[in-house]
Formats: sequence, structure tokens, C-alpha cells
Amino acid sequence: MRRRAIENNRVGYLMVSPYIIFFLLFVGYPLMFSLVLVFHKWNIIGPMRFIGFGNFGQLLHDALFWKSLGNTLIFLVIHIPLQIIIALVIANILNQRIAARGFFRAAFFLPVVVSGVVVTILWQQLYSQETGLFNTLLSRIGLPKVPWLISTRLAMPSIAIMATWKNVGLYIVLFLTGLQTIPASLYEVADLDGASEVQKFFHVTIPMLNPTMVMVVILSTLGGFSLFIEPYVMTGGGPMNSTLSCVLYIYKQAFYFNHMGYAATLGFAVALIIMIVVIIQRKLVETEIYT
Amino acid sequence: MLKSIKWLIVLLAVGIFSQESILFAKGDVVRLTYWPSSNPQEIELAKVIVDEWNHKHPGIQVDMQPLPASQSSEEVLLAAVAAKTTPDICSNIWPGIVAGFTEANALVSLDNFKDFWDVALSRAPEDILETFRSKDGHIYQMPWKGNPIMMEYNVKLFSDAGISKPPRTYSEFMVAAQKLTRDTDRDGIIDQWMGIINVSPVWWHRFFDFYSLYIAASGGRTLFEDDKVNFDNEYAIQVFRFLQEGFKKGYFPKGTLQGNQFLMENVAVQFVGPWDIGYLEKYKTEDFEYDFAPLPIPDNTPEPILTYSDPKDIVIFSTTKHPEEAWEFVKFLISKESDLQLLKICYQIPFRKDLDIDSTFKEYFDENPKTMKFAKQISYTRGVDNVSQLKEIFDVIAQAFEYCCVYGKETPEKAVKNAAERCQRIIGR
Amino acid sequence: MKKAIFYIILSLVALIFIYPFIWMASAALRPEIEISSLSPFSHNFSISNYKAVLEKIPIGRAFLNSLFVSSSITFSVLVFSSIVGYALSRLKFRGRELIFMVILFTMMIPFQITMIPLYVLMVKFGWTDTYLALIVPGMISAFGILLFRQYFKAIPQAIIDAARIDGCSDLGILFRIVWPNSIPALVTVAIITFMNTWNEVLWPLIVIRKQSIMTMPQMVTLFAVGGQAEQVGVGLASAMMLAAPVVIIYCIFQRHFIASMVHTGVKG
Repeated sequence: MRRRAIENNRVGYLMVSPYIIFFLLFVGYPLMFSLVLVFHKWNIIGPMRFIGFGNFGQLLHDALFWKSLGNTLIFLVIHIPLQIIIALVIANILNQRIAARGFFRAAFFLPVVVSGVVVTILWQQLYSQETGLFNTLLSRIGLPKVPWLISTRLAMPSIAIMATWKNVGLYIVLFLTGLQTIPASLYEVADLDGASEVQKFFHVTIPMLNPTMVMVVILSTLGGFSLFIEPYVMTGGGPMNSTLSCVLYIYKQAFYFNHMGYAATLGFAVALIIMIVVIIQRKLVETEIYT
Repeated sequence: MLKSIKWLIVLLAVGIFSQESILFAKGDVVRLTYWPSSNPQEIELAKVIVDEWNHKHPGIQVDMQPLPASQSSEEVLLAAVAAKTTPDICSNIWPGIVAGFTEANALVSLDNFKDFWDVALSRAPEDILETFRSKDGHIYQMPWKGNPIMMEYNVKLFSDAGISKPPRTYSEFMVAAQKLTRDTDRDGIIDQWMGIINVSPVWWHRFFDFYSLYIAASGGRTLFEDDKVNFDNEYAIQVFRFLQEGFKKGYFPKGTLQGNQFLMENVAVQFVGPWDIGYLEKYKTEDFEYDFAPLPIPDNTPEPILTYSDPKDIVIFSTTKHPEEAWEFVKFLISKESDLQLLKICYQIPFRKDLDIDSTFKEYFDENPKTMKFAKQISYTRGVDNVSQLKEIFDVIAQAFEYCCVYGKETPEKAVKNAAERCQRIIGR
Repeated sequence: MKKAIFYIILSLVALIFIYPFIWMASAALRPEIEISSLSPFSHNFSISNYKAVLEKIPIGRAFLNSLFVSSSITFSVLVFSSIVGYALSRLKFRGRELIFMVILFTMMIPFQITMIPLYVLMVKFGWTDTYLALIVPGMISAFGILLFRQYFKAIPQAIIDAARIDGCSDLGILFRIVWPNSIPALVTVAIITFMNTWNEVLWPLIVIRKQSIMTMPQMVTLFAVGGQAEQVGVGLASAMMLAAPVVIIYCIFQRHFIASMVHTGVKG
């Protein structure tokens, strides 16, 4: 027995060793280095200059950083509710006895698997001021053209709508799966109590879907803070920095201006904010069940 | 187990020694690596020059490797410097990155070579050469070529509108703009504009609008003087006002249009460098007429009219093992014959002060009179300041440009003041 | 009656999701003047836009690069993540739970923090502009380890014991016994990993500048953003070429795609 235990130890360590090496190299070291970078000024080719809390000071006064956070907030405020409502409604409809459910599901899911680049290039053209599909449709029915990507107030919401189109298929499927795990008995009990459709929806369906909803909210939030390729391709961060996302700003600081120390600081700041936001969201959405 | 190890050692030894013997055999020939830009014409030029050199110098062979295509070459160079995999010579250096490279001790100071001043002064004008001197007093870059930014205009559109000369001042420009911006096919939408300025807030687009116009308006000032902001003045304000008015009155289109608008005769004027000649000659229709004039300036500005030279320089990296031989190749790169090839293949202007009088070039300019305008302009240009945060500086200016000129959200006075403050803070850091 | 409304809504929504792709497909075939036409049909269909793309950028090479990189990473993830997952689920050794906690922790680290130092590491190793920079940092996936560990836990001990008695080593057990019994997990990890690495753009943009090593989404991005695609149709054509491989595979295997993503979503 003892020999087996020792052997298990040896084999176990051997088997996880590739991961340990990988972790040390590509996770542990970058994390440590990032922490060090935060207190320095560095442009990759020169020497690293220690500046203490200089980067933090710059961060607090950096209007563009706070603007990028604000932009992300605008994105999330539109994207998350839109996504949840659409996904809930469609999933519920699909949950009824619908023929060709597989076909519909596949159709909604299509944008999810396609690359974000394709979706962005496509929607950039749809939103195009003069030749885009949306504005052409609008002028055909006599409405004025909308400056989707040119107006500072509409640019980020336009991106939020595109992101919803791309991802909602995944959440429809997730909700559908969630719906199918709700025991029929719960609905039967509600029926016995004389509950209407609407009441059943709000008092049985929604609470039971709560874990899925938490996941949808958290995944969407993480996605919102990771927004990069959409503003990079569609607007370059404009007009007037209204679509500058956190990651795009970090990218610019690191790879256009070579401010490695400051970019690392931004990275940590964003990560911290993500953590706080996610914790708040979990508290908020989870308390919903119990009220 | 032991037997296979023995074989392994034998094989390794053979491998190492055979490498060494190869090294010994080639020991006499010096090999240099040279990186030109990724631009197809410049690659062609590099091939021609390198072949010629290798022919003439069997003892010093140059190996050309073009920089990776379609991405900013600065990043590649930066990574190479950080990893110490830089070539011996590179001819695609934008002066803006030299400051960073010299701080990292990545470059060889050229003025240490005995014949540097003779060679350099025989070619480039002295005041231009001085602008390439680094903060520590040494010169790390050899000015190679420039693309002075001038005003390109469609001769036919102007004469059709009854304008005989291209506009010289801002007022003349606006008068012409009013005549030239119109709806040509009567469908209610303007489809011809005076000029086209790139509205996307990318930092380097500003070379072709704000920065060139500022150099012209201020009679040769750049953005900084002795580490202090030097554009918080009326000249910058006038340039911003000029651009803002152009956008407000619709003389420059605000959206992004597809295709080359100048070629399609949808705009009458464009601010470009001589490289456009090659492009237009290739794609224009028979009756397309164009010419060049100096940039417009605020009224009452004295001559001569300067502009931005969009320069590219040659450097020798400090990782080189053969600095003397590399210097010989650099001298060949800037010889009269190589400069002539630069003109012929790339339509770009070497930093040479005698282009209009030296007989080597006479035939070329007789055949290409438009390029001569640029050749005359090259002696009246400015480059960029020797400051390592240039990209960030231009990013600030690009944002000021977007807010003030394109969207009219700020007055030129405020825009310039804010930009100057932000830039001073960036330099101070 | 209610059913009819449902079908109408569903069909409308399905149209919203599919029509843009149809529009894109037809716009890529149309000449510039007809770009804003509403109807997906045209008399002037031609493949000139596609030809322009092929002439301007080596997109075929980019496709092969993406194929090579994604396949290598997927293969490596399947092998290494399953090894680690096996060790964590079926072997008892000291520190096993600690390592598991560490793996969970790494999944919570946002890319924003690690991307800069990772880039610096690539520069120091001299891996920029090589396939190494694209493949090696993705070779083991924490998510894969998690999934395999979960799945392997459910394998009946009896089968494993039987193999042990036959004198099988642990690696042998993993590949000869456990793998054949874990097809759903393998398929899930393979699909998710392949899809994510194929669509990845930010990392290639950071570490690759050489056109001959660029991945397909990266090349199409630079093509569309850089203004080389002078006409709208050409840009759309390049996007179509990027979408085509995934859409084709999706149409064939869509059930597995959806099942995989749900599987991971539910585990969350």
C-alpha cells in the first residue's frame, strides 16, 4: 500500500509537471513581472526606471482612462438588459412544442461561432452613413439617415447592439437548457394555486433560471471589459474617443506609445474594477431570488 | 543506454566541427544584413542597389531582408532592438524613433567616422543636417530621402471654375473652395469638394495636414524648442482655424469615402508627397491634368514657404560587428548613382542640395518636370523634433484636430492651448 | 393561434440573424455602385472582388497559418490538459488540491494583466514573428484541465483497476482506456479550443508583424482597417473568405458546437 502511495506521488507529480512549468513561465512570471512593471517606466528597449507610485498618480488624472471606463459602462448598460430580455423571450418560445426547433436554434447560434472580425466588418458596412443597409432602408421609407458610427452619442450603443446580435444565440441556448431543467411539478403546483401565465413566469421561471442569469450577466460583463476588435476595426476609438474601450486604450499605451509600465498599471486597474463589478453583480442578481 | 549516449556525443561533435569548418572557409568575406522598408518600390530599389554593391565588392557581401509587410515598421525594429537581433544597416528609420534608440545605445554614432562630415556636407544642406543631431551632440542618422508635402491640384477642375492660379494664401484657398465645392450632377448632394483631409484621429495622418501646414505657416518652426512646447502660438491657431473652416463649410468631406478621390476627380486639391506622381501616372486617364504648388499659408506670410519633409534616414545598429564596412555601404547608399535610382524607381527625393544643378540628374528631371518641384522644395523643409514621446504628442494633436477641426467642438485657441499643455506635461514626465 | 404568433416571431428573428450574412455574400459579388442596393440579387454578379483580395494579400497563406496554429494548439491542449486532468482526478498525491486551486485561480486572471509581460517574454525569447509565439502560450488550457478532471472523475474505477492489473502504466491507461471512454469531453474541448484559437485576433496583432506568419483573422483585420481594400465589396469579400471555413464546418457539426458551448456554459 505504501509503495503504491509513493508511486502515485511520483507519477502524479510527473504528470502535472508540464503544467507547472507552463504555469511558471506563462502565468506566474508574467504576473510577477506585471507587478514590478507597475512601479517603473519602461519602453522595452531602454533601461527600466523606478518611479514609485508615479503610474498611479497618472492614472488618477488620466481623463481618457476614465472615459474608457465610462464607455464600457454605456456598453454594458445597453448590452446586458437587451441580451437577457431577447434571450429569455426567444428561449421561452422555443421551449414550447415548436417544430424545426433545431433549425431555429442553429440559426440563432450562427453569429456566435463566426469570428468577431467578420461580424465587425459586416456591421461596419450595415452602419455605413451613405451606403449602409440600415440607412438605405430608412431613406426608402422616408426616414432620415442615422449617424450610427459618426455621432458621439450613438457610436457605442451601435456597437452594443452589434455585440448583442453576435452573442445572444449562446444565451438563448443556455436559457433553453436552463428552462428544460425546471421540474414540471413546480408549474403544476402554481396551476393549483390558480396562477396566471404571467405570474408563473415571474414566480417560477425567472427564479429557477437565476443561476443561468447570473452566468449570462457575468459572461457579458467580462466580454464588455474585453471589447477590443470591434472599436479597433469600426471606429479606431472615435468619434472623439466615445468608443475607446479599456483594452483598446491599454493596447495604444503599450504598442503605440511603448509605455509598458503605465500599460501594466492600467491592466491591473481594469482587472480590479472587473472583480469589483462582478462581485456587486453577483450580490445584486442573487438577492433577486430571495425577494 | 550508454552506447546511444556515446553515439549522440560523436554526432554532436561532428556537427559542431563541421559548422566551424564552414566558418573558417568563409572567414574572409564580411557579411552585412541590410533592412530596407517593406514598400514594394523600395524593395525593388534595394535589390538594384545591393546587387550593384555585391558585384563591386566581393569582399563585403550585403544580404537584404525587407521589413515585414503591412504593419508599422517601428514595432519590428523595437522588438529587434530589445532582443538584440538588429541588422547592420537599416534605411527605413523615421527620425522620431532615433531618440529612443540612442537612449538604449542601439545606434553607432556616425560622426565618429573620419570622413563623415565631408560626405554628409557634400550632399545635404547644412541646416537640414543640424536638425538631425541628437541631444548628446552626436549624429546617429544619415538623412536619406524625403517626401516634401506640397499641394497637388487638378488643373482642369481649376480652369473650368475660372481660377487661373492655384491658391497661395488661406483667403485665396477659401475663395477657390467655394467655387469648387458643388453638386455636379444636380441630385441635391454635394459630390465634389475642394480638398480631402483624412478625418480618422490616427497620429501620423497629421503629418499631411496640421504639421505640414504649421511648418509652412510658422516659417519653419517645429513642435518643440529645447524641450519646451513651441506651437502655443498664433500660427498653430491659424492652421486649426483654416482646417476648422474647411470642414464647417463643407469644403472637406467628413465621412470616409472609398477609393482615391483625387484620381476620381471628386476633389480638386490634395496635400501629398512626390510618391503620388508614380501612382497617378500609372492609373490616370488621358485627359487628367495635375500639378503641384507650395502649401497654402496664412495671408502676409513671407517666402520661402517651407513644409514637412517626411524624412527617412539610414542608421547603423550598434550590434554590428563591422562598423567600418557598414559605413562604406551607407556611403554607397547615398551616392549619386543610388540617388538617381531612388528618383527613378520610387519617385522620392534624396536629401541632396544639388539636384537641380548636377548633370547626373538633368536627364531625369527633363523627363519628369513635376518631380523637380519637389527637388527644389527639399532644401526648404523641416523634420520632426528629437523627442522620444513623439507618437504620443502627435496623438494629442490628432485628438485636438478631431475635436476642433472635424467636429467644431472647440475653438482653435482653446484647442491649441489644451494640446500645448498636455504635450508639455508629456515631455516633462 | 398562439403557436402561429410564435412561429412568426421565430422566423422574423431567424431572418434577422441570417439575412446579414446573405446580404454580405451578395454584396461581395456586386460592383461598387450597387453596394447599397437592398435586394440580394443583381445582374452584375462577378467574382472580381474576390480576385482583388487574392491579388492584394496572401490570404491563402494566412488560412494555412491559422489551420496550423489552431490544430497544433488543439492537439497539444487535448494531450496535456487530459494528462493533468487525469492526474488531478484519478491519482492521489500530496498537493493535488493545492494545484487544482492554482489552476482555478489562473482562470480568473484577465488577459489585460498578462498580455504585456507575455509580449515582453516573447521579445526576450526572440519568438516574435514566429509560430512559437502563437502556439506555445496556448499549449495547455486551464479550462481544458477543468473539463477533463470533471469528466474523468466519473469513469468507473473498475476499468482502471483492470488495466492496472494488466500492467498498464498511467499514461497508457489515460490514452488507451480513458480517452476512448471520454469522447464527449474530447469533442467539447477540441471544438471550443479550435474555435477560440481560430478567432483569436488580439494576441497575433501583438506578436506577429511578418505577413507570412499572420493568421487569417489578423490579416483580414489589417486589410479592412488599413485601407488596402479600397472598395467596400473587396473588404466584404475578405470577410466572407474568413467566415467560410467556420460556417461550413458549423453547418455540418452544429449540434456538437451547440452542445459543447452549453456544456461549458452550464459548468461555468
